[in-house]
Amino acid sequence: MTTVRTAPGLGARLSRSLALLTGVGLGLVCAAVYAVIALTLLQRQDETLDQKQAAIAQLLGERGPGHSVAELQHLLSDVLAGHAELSLRVTTADGQVIFDKAPAQSWPGKQRSFNVPVTAGPATSVLLALDQRGDNALMQRLAWTLACTAVGGALAVSAGAYWLVRRGLVPLHRLVDQTRLVTAHDLDRRLDGSGQPMELQPLIEQFNALLGRLDGAYRQMEAFNADVAHELNTPLATLISSSELALRRSRSAEEMRDVLGSNLEELHRMAGIIGDMLFLSHADNGSDARRDRVDSLAHLASEVIDFHEAAMHEAGLQATVVGEAAAQVDARLLRRAISNLLGNATRYGLAGTTVTVRINRVDASSVAVAVENSGPGIAPEHLPRLFDRFYRVDVARADADRNHGLGLAIVAAIARMHGGRATAESSGGTTRVGLLLRDA
Amino acid sequence: MTRMKLLVVEDEAKLADYLRKGLTEEGFVVDVARNGVDGLHLAAEGDYDLVLLDGMLPGIDGLAVLAALRQSQQTPVLMLTARSQVEDRVKGLQAGADDYLVKPFAFSELLARIQALLRRGRPTQTPAEATVLKLSDLELDLIRRKAVRAGKRLELTAKEFNLLSLLLRRAGEVLSRTELAEQVWDMNFDSETNVVEVAVRRLRTKLDQPFDRPLLHTVRGMGYVLEAREP
Repeated sequence: MTTVRTAPGLGARLSRSLALLTGVGLGLVCAAVYAVIALTLLQRQDETLDQKQAAIAQLLGERGPGHSVAELQHLLSDVLAGHAELSLRVTTADGQVIFDKAPAQSWPGKQRSFNVPVTAGPATSVLLALDQRGDNALMQRLAWTLACTAVGGALAVSAGAYWLVRRGLVPLHRLVDQTRLVTAHDLDRRLDGSGQPMELQPLIEQFNALLGRLDGAYRQMEAFNADVAHELNTPLATLISSSELALRRSRSAEEMRDVLGSNLEELHRMAGIIGDMLFLSHADNGSDARRDRVDSLAHLASEVIDFHEAAMHEAGLQATVVGEAAAQVDARLLRRAISNLLGNATRYGLAGTTVTVRINRVDASSVAVAVENSGPGIAPEHLPRLFDRFYRVDVARADADRNHGLGLAIVAAIARMHGGRATAESSGGTTRVGLLLRDA
Repeated sequence: MTRMKLLVVEDEAKLADYLRKGLTEEGFVVDVARNGVDGLHLAAEGDYDLVLLDGMLPGIDGLAVLAALRQSQQTPVLMLTARSQVEDRVKGLQAGADDYLVKPFAFSELLARIQALLRRGRPTQTPAEATVLKLSDLELDLIRRKAVRAGKRLELTAKEFNLLSLLLRRAGEVLSRTELAEQVWDMNFDSETNVVEVAVRRLRTKLDQPFDRPLLHTVRGMGYVLEAREP
């Protein structure tokens, strides 16, 4: 067995790719969310500072001499009310700090320092600061949450995909179990497609069709082996027993000659069967006909009729050739095919009738040659198997010792070697068996 | 006539022995080589009238032996091949074989091919063929295509006449069904039909039945022979 380099599993591959894709997708979304929120927060901080700066400037600017420091302090605390993140220090021109809300630690990064002109004196300087730590903590939390969501989501999708693929492949595993049950001994078993997803139906159909073809071929091969064994066994049995019998006691030269002659007949018969089988095997292996131009197929057919003249005359049959064509064929093979067909026609033809060899050009590239005889006819169920090796319509024929059932198989092989096929039809007591030849 | 010298190049011991025996009995001087190297050496050194060469040999195969032999010698070569594929025959003939025979073959056919090849090599030795052939009380006029036995004209068909003339030309020699089919009807394939038997049987009814002494004999398993046997 050859080792097949297998790709990584479908489930692992899919879940890995999906995890990666989800990770990238979620990552992008999270990054966008983070960026928008960070930007918004910064904008809000600036807005708050702008707002408060304006409020403070207004408050300090409107400050008349009548306003007491305590009153001002109170008003400034009102402005800062609800904004724990803001710190403020207001220093008058003479260096007196009239308001001081210092931050818990040092002054934070985002500061505004400005002077407010006062109508009755030098400008008051203001330092306003915004503590960003709260927002920074928020952003950090957000970042962590988003990152965890992205990774978690990707992992969840990956696991889900793995599970889905596994579940999706269950029918395939079931099919594998079913195919495992098909052995050479029960090729008639078929895959059960019920409950299988639509996508697998073509595969199941094709597999079943393949099984059907295999089954047919296997049965034919088994039958063929049995037939070969049987056909060779008969002459072998005769050979063994006649040789043993001859050697049991001393025989005259005449007797021995007779035994050897009889053995030789059986050996010729075996050689004939094996020769025919070799011929068929060469044909099966794609051996082609050696084509030459034959100007008159009718002439070729009448030569073969001459060969069969005596046998046909003895069977009370006449023979004629109807039709004519010229073709590129292997004359030797075609003679052999026609000879086999005439042999069959002689065996089955009704005495007193005529056997006709019909030749006609079917189209530009094919020629039909068929031998037609009147006789008992062949039942339709036998017709398709007529060209099978060792197939006999009539199992118990008297001439079975001469006719080993390869004649028509050879006819079919010769047709195939010419790129054509064998044809057979039988109706109304007329049987026509022949070849359709591709005329290259 | 001096005895013809044959070289058999065949690795299968049983077949080689049987060829040696059979051909010696037929009056040939036979040498056997069991492999291609010995075969080529003998064929090149010895003066043989014909070489029987097996197509599949250990060492160098038959076709290679043939090709090497043809470099120096024009000795007629009859190839024996186990492969019945047409291509092999064609290859053999292209490589310079004069004829081929597919295994398994009948000894009678081998003999006929050998004799044909040897005849071909010496065309001047055979005189112009007789136009009238005779055997016992049978007479065949090849020109007028007339067959007469004991003064009575035999009514033969064209093919029957050809069959009888072949048997008569080679009287005393057993001719196989395959050879008859090839020589008389030009059908060079093994047929599973019994057409030759029937043809011979019909010839016999015309040739022998009306007369006391049969001339046409069946040699079981071998074929047919035309000869006047002592009663």
